[in-house]
Amino acid sequence: MSEDRILPSARNEIMGRLKAAPKTKIPIRPFLPPLKEASLGKEELINKFSEMFTAETGIVYRAKSNDQALEKLTEIMKQEGLKSVMVSTDNVVTSLDLPAWGNKIGVKVMSPKDFKGRDDFKDAVFDRVEAGITGVDFAVAESGTLGLIHDKDQARLISLAPILHIAIVPVERVFPVYEPVIERVFKKEKFPSQFVFITGPSMTGDIQGHLFKGMHGPRRVIVILVG
Amino acid sequence: MQISTEKFTELAKKGVEKARARPFLKMVPHFLYQMREAGLATLPEVSAAQAYGAAIRSEALNRLPELLEEFEKNATANGAKVFWARTAKEANEYIANLATERGAEFVIKGKSMVTEEIGLNEHLSEHGIEPWEADLGEFIIQQMHCPPFHIVGPALNISVEEIRDLFMAKAIMKEPTLDPVELGWAARLFLREKFHRAEFGVTGVNMAVAETGTIINLENEGNIRFAKSSPKTQVSVMTLEKVVPTMKDALHLIRLLSRNCSGQKISAYVSMDSGPKKESEIDGPEELIIVIVDNGRSRIYQDPQARDALRCIRCAACLNICPVYRQIGGYAYGWVYSGPMGQVLMPLLLGLDKTQDIYRACTLCGACKSVCPAGIDHPNLMLYYRSMDLSADHPFHGKKRPWREVRFFQAWGMAVQRFWMWNLGISMTRPLMNKNSHNGLIREMKGAFGGWFRKRDFPPMAEKTFHEKWEEIKKTH
Repeated sequence: MSEDRILPSARNEIMGRLKAAPKTKIPIRPFLPPLKEASLGKEELINKFSEMFTAETGIVYRAKSNDQALEKLTEIMKQEGLKSVMVSTDNVVTSLDLPAWGNKIGVKVMSPKDFKGRDDFKDAVFDRVEAGITGVDFAVAESGTLGLIHDKDQARLISLAPILHIAIVPVERVFPVYEPVIERVFKKEKFPSQFVFITGPSMTGDIQGHLFKGMHGPRRVIVILVG
Repeated sequence: MQISTEKFTELAKKGVEKARARPFLKMVPHFLYQMREAGLATLPEVSAAQAYGAAIRSEALNRLPELLEEFEKNATANGAKVFWARTAKEANEYIANLATERGAEFVIKGKSMVTEEIGLNEHLSEHGIEPWEADLGEFIIQQMHCPPFHIVGPALNISVEEIRDLFMAKAIMKEPTLDPVELGWAARLFLREKFHRAEFGVTGVNMAVAETGTIINLENEGNIRFAKSSPKTQVSVMTLEKVVPTMKDALHLIRLLSRNCSGQKISAYVSMDSGPKKESEIDGPEELIIVIVDNGRSRIYQDPQARDALRCIRCAACLNICPVYRQIGGYAYGWVYSGPMGQVLMPLLLGLDKTQDIYRACTLCGACKSVCPAGIDHPNLMLYYRSMDLSADHPFHGKKRPWREVRFFQAWGMAVQRFWMWNLGISMTRPLMNKNSHNGLIREMKGAFGGWFRKRDFPPMAEKTFHEKWEEIKKTH
């Protein structure tokens, strides 16, 4: 059975049936009241985001500057006793110069650029690091959500495979609701291969409805708001 | 999976017996329903939001052919490959062949209903490719070889003791435990190795956005994100009705789906893929293949009334509120889809003849309809199936009722329209009925009407009708 022979005929057969089906009237979209988050001011937005993110067992810290953010990171490393982290190379993280910071405090800082290819990188991110540190492209107050565009500087597994995810969120990237975020992600000709909304740690309730965090992804997510 | 929709009554009885011994049905559906209410209450106007969701699904179905074409065009432009499959068999063969070509020894699977519908796991196993379900609930039921009890929590009913024994027997953990968190952790460690080594990932699709050619998945555990990040090949399987017009519509449905399903504002992870990874990216799939499965849906689409069943977004709100599901649980429905959403879908997918009891196991109370974010009128559909079954001249394999039942109701129809016939009938039936009366109750009856007495008693018929009594009263006064 050659694929080429099946392809057009299956498609055409299915589409033919769909097109031949009787048409019905498209209903008029009813009025949809806007979400109340849409009218929040800047500080209110940040507070709302923090409140919602904390409700999902996330932890939020606020830093006034990059230096303060680094201090906070050092504190977290000490508290948790972390020795090695995988960091992304997005512009938020790059501006912190984490390799230099790691050198100073004795934490091994790796990034995808240190690896030859997918398999090497996977070995490290699955088994050799205790946390992943990423920037975010967006944060959404409506539900305490982080938005990450995956590209060459934002590998998918850094925010997924390690048991702890630390996200650095510049306050100007907090948006009230999802819509303006999605507009920005999908405005260009070339869409990102993957865009992801992350709301709290990985979780499950699949055993007797018993909810717990850290099913396959991170068990904890920490946000450091900068600005 | 063995389809056993024809054994509904038998399985339902078993379900009731088993379910009584377990706390699941008494608690979880109610709990999920409460969560749903609380989640929806965070929207400014719940009914408006639900109605808007229904309008999106209605428009999506209405414009289905053009939206599918638009989706295909944009997904292809993003670099994804689109494969169309008429049947489950075509989809399974394609995926198994592809996995073989790519040299995959095993496949890591994100939670998906459609791959259960088409029986992909069995097919892959037969071809020597091991499928690993990675959602915790799916993982448990795959190892136990049982169908999903609930579409959102497939293993919700299974006790921690059973899971402990299973995990010990399959060497998924070393030390026995009854702590759900520890059990989950054992599964995490076991599956982590699979995620790490995976070369071939399979997922379902919650929404396919026509405007951008993007596929969207919602999940809480991270199994789908892993299946879309670690392997070199990603196959995402969708049924053709998953398409929605715009990203904005998808966002509204994400809000509704999460809330109606579990009361969350949004599920922990929502991942949106537009094509495979770019050259410069270190992880993510090198190829993204979207398999669009028909499996009977284009035939359902021909019927403008039955078509409404395709609005479903699989939130499972209707299961949690259904008085029938709450008594019998998911196994009775005999296939992957349970509760009211299964009752409206399966008769169309499998045929009215093979699902006779499924669309009759409904009290028409309308609770499902009242919670549906997609605007499905389940009771009306089930009445429609019953009428199609009766006329038997329909593409959905209506079977007709047994001739005796048909004759009986014809006679009934005639009798209730003619008072002399009714009275004659009453006087003839009375001695036959009352023969079975003991201590003022008819508890059972032999013959065709026996079934009626399975769950209820009848009082004996009065010796005289109201009219006869009335005549007597008039005479004596």
